[in-house]
Amino acid sequence: MADELVKLTIDGREVEVPRGTKVIEAVRDMGSDVPHYCWHPGLTVAGNCRICMVEVDMGRGRQTVISCNLDCSPGMQVFTQSDPAKQARQDVMELLLINHPLDCPICDQAGECKLQEYSFEFGADGSRFEFPKVHKPKHVDFSEHVKFDAERCILCTRCVRFCDEIAGEDELSIVNRGDRNEIAVARGGEMTNAYQLNTVDICPVGALTSTDFRFKSRVWFLKQTRSVCGSCSRGCNTTVGTRWNKVLRMVPAENDDVNQWWMCDAGRLAFKHTAADERLGAPMVRKDGKLVEASWDEALSAAVEGLEAAGDGLFALVSARLTNEELFLARGILDKVGTQHVDFKPRTWPKDDLLRTGDGNPNAAGARFFGIAPGDGAHGLEALAESGLKAAFLCGEDLDERPDDLAALEAMDFVLCTGFHETETMRRCASVVLPGVTEFEKDGSFTNIDGRMQRIQPSLSAPGSARPDWKLLGQLLARLGGGEAPRSADQVLKSMGATHPELEGLSLGRLGPLGKSLPQGESPVTEGENTVTAGENTVTEGENTVTEGASA
Amino acid sequence: MGLRDRLLQHAPPIGSSQSYDDYVASGGYQGLKKALGMEPDAVTQMVLEAGVRGRGGAGFPAGRKWSFVPKGTGKPVYLACNADESEPGCFKDRQIMERVPHLLIEGCVAACHAIGAQIAYIYVRGEYPQSIAALEAALVEAREKGTVGSDVMGSGWACDVWVHKGAGAYICGEETGLLSSLEGGRGYPRIKPPFPAVEGLWRSPTIINNVETLANVPLIVRDGVEAFKSVGNDDTTGTRLVGISGHVENPCDVEIDPATTTIRDLIETHAGGVWKGRKLKAVIPGGSSVPVMPADAIDVPFTYGAVRDAGSLAGAAGVIVMDETTCMVDALLNLMQFYHHESCGQCTPCREGTGWLEKLVTRIWKGEGRPSDIDLLDSVADTIGGAQNGKTICFLADSAVMPTKSFLKHFRGDFVAAVENGGSPVWKAQEARRAKVSA
Repeated sequence: MADELVKLTIDGREVEVPRGTKVIEAVRDMGSDVPHYCWHPGLTVAGNCRICMVEVDMGRGRQTVISCNLDCSPGMQVFTQSDPAKQARQDVMELLLINHPLDCPICDQAGECKLQEYSFEFGADGSRFEFPKVHKPKHVDFSEHVKFDAERCILCTRCVRFCDEIAGEDELSIVNRGDRNEIAVARGGEMTNAYQLNTVDICPVGALTSTDFRFKSRVWFLKQTRSVCGSCSRGCNTTVGTRWNKVLRMVPAENDDVNQWWMCDAGRLAFKHTAADERLGAPMVRKDGKLVEASWDEALSAAVEGLEAAGDGLFALVSARLTNEELFLARGILDKVGTQHVDFKPRTWPKDDLLRTGDGNPNAAGARFFGIAPGDGAHGLEALAESGLKAAFLCGEDLDERPDDLAALEAMDFVLCTGFHETETMRRCASVVLPGVTEFEKDGSFTNIDGRMQRIQPSLSAPGSARPDWKLLGQLLARLGGGEAPRSADQVLKSMGATHPELEGLSLGRLGPLGKSLPQGESPVTEGENTVTAGENTVTEGENTVTEGASA
Repeated sequence: MGLRDRLLQHAPPIGSSQSYDDYVASGGYQGLKKALGMEPDAVTQMVLEAGVRGRGGAGFPAGRKWSFVPKGTGKPVYLACNADESEPGCFKDRQIMERVPHLLIEGCVAACHAIGAQIAYIYVRGEYPQSIAALEAALVEAREKGTVGSDVMGSGWACDVWVHKGAGAYICGEETGLLSSLEGGRGYPRIKPPFPAVEGLWRSPTIINNVETLANVPLIVRDGVEAFKSVGNDDTTGTRLVGISGHVENPCDVEIDPATTTIRDLIETHAGGVWKGRKLKAVIPGGSSVPVMPADAIDVPFTYGAVRDAGSLAGAAGVIVMDETTCMVDALLNLMQFYHHESCGQCTPCREGTGWLEKLVTRIWKGEGRPSDIDLLDSVADTIGGAQNGKTICFLADSAVMPTKSFLKHFRGDFVAAVENGGSPVWKAQEARRAKVSA
């Protein structure tokens, strides 16, 4: 049944869609759009805004109907641009605006407001309404993250349905009647669900705004960069909005196979570290017990010297927040040095049934894939304090919250640290510090919990002379005798096929905006599996058709 | 009146309620007994052949509605009796609930048998405490006597009936709004499809029938289709209960033969004529939401078809009479205030439009109207009305639109006068009183 196709005509074009497809979806799939407020592909149909009107002929003459609740049926003729359909939409636009404050100049939604868009597209040039508007509460705190303006609200109930159907907390509802209706938090309380900022994303107007982002910038001045959230191993796709070389907001980007339209609040607000005061802008080496700025050449030389001296006595803690490209290079460095004492630091994150995985390392799968784990009989992180090792490489990682390990590091002869901000570990233990960058400042890929490789892209430039980690690791590796330093993260990925056949032919571009799943059954996704067996599977090209997430 | 008075034939006077014993003595529960001995589909077939149309206003044939219940879904089937009677001008269902409650209970149980339900909910308007008390008392008797409960009339079949008290919203009389309310939610009408017969109460097949519709079922089954159809005509079979109110000498409920009783008969014969010896100005025949009729249009029988052909609707049979002194701007304002207040606010056109209509009528009423306001009022009504054109989920917006358009059509002069002469006479009288008080 599910695969049964239905043939119908939309605006004179014959189309075939699976049975059960709504007309609004069929039109969207044709690359066109029926205006809509209350309909959202991820939510149940409410059918209350009444703007998605089309004309339909099912053999009994034409009639206007809402397209969001209309199943495509065989022989149906749909007219999205007929005069009655257009008139009905114009009527709804007029009605939606009679009690709307029309405060666009000071509204955060301006520029991405469906009221503005549809008014522009087919609204009338004036209103016949000349009465005082209905007044309702403004700037109401629904929570510390979400502000509500009842006068701007068009009561589409997307937010109500999201909380109930997706976040699993039926905490919003409508109170009062008719044009006095307003959204309210249940029992006069606050929103508590961990995904509440998604209501701001899906609010088609300026009724719900983010406390964090409001009044920061007009949205059309934001540079929008597609990337991946680095807070957990789900790898929610994001659109990062930046201006003045600062991240101003992060919103989910649609990816049906990963996060659909959603992401958690904690993840989307986890960009404050990019602007932290303690960002590292220059390499440092310890002289007379104090860390002092040094040139890259001097610092890299000191680092290589220390690593070579340590040899198989080096303890290496490689961050699972680094990209695949960086992990590959780090693995190469450790192989050159010849140590087996390798590990990554586990990181927890809340876990739920929606998106959050509980694993706070965005690239734990990549770390396992590239063998970031102790060799046989070698020391891992848990054995560090008792290991007696005399040198360490903290690659994008710190041990600030582990006092015993910090003490062990402090007693060592040589400690190399890389990272993007100054840590207690660096201050107390580092012999050499090489400044790397955050995930907002570099190219590369993460492999998520389901084995999907996804591309991160830079949206900011790094402070001072800090270098993307792939670059500084590549330079270290080159100085250790590993050939020429790579010129890009993409070059690193392209070179991996030689040693990892399952990555043959991959490039950052080929991952596409939606990422690419590695063949199932391979070690990248096997929980707790530390050794890598090269498989024969090759990545299949072309299975992920690249489509920019249609803005819902 | 030459009519076998069927629904209320044995009803005690207003203010008292027929007991179980009296009901049985007058032939009560024989219809149910007979229905229990029949195949459910055969009962549905009888109701279908009797042609009884929904008495809640829409006039949809009850038997056809019942036949929409899908078979073999594995889900329970529910019967919801719409006893919300929320339409202004309507007070006929309470006659059945308060005076012959067992007739409704018998109808509910018989209907449950026909549609395969074992639970019926009677959703009673919260402002009807007498109806609720009478039904509750009758249900105690019925359970005791076994006409409701785990073994209905010894058949081994169980069927329960529950009374649910509404909380005071017009929209809960809309059939799917009623279901939402019954489930404990806001009384929001639901988008269709799915239709309630397929997915209604708790997403299970549900039939919603008006009180009077269900009260006819025992009589159809007991006395047969022909006896039922001996009253009325092919368009409107059986009797109709009609409430007559407004400017009449004797506001009342009557049970009539719709084929032989005209709206004029209802007013002049049954309600004692227009009060105070005045002349008739206008009649709203089917409850406040239907189009108004001018005085010269009322010589039509009270069938669905005849009233429709005369430009209005028999609806839920609430005949509202207005005498020659009535200012139609004032009357329309009353209705616009009501529909604005009662819009659930779900659909944009109704939520925003009913308030706009009220504001426009208020402006005209207060003497602040402009000549162009009259056409604007008509145009705004067109903008929001037309559930059949997909404008709204339910017909509430149309309930405001139909009076508006018909008032303007038949009584435009009142509106022009209000614009030209500084407002409605009612407003001017109020202003004069206020001036006197403050002087």
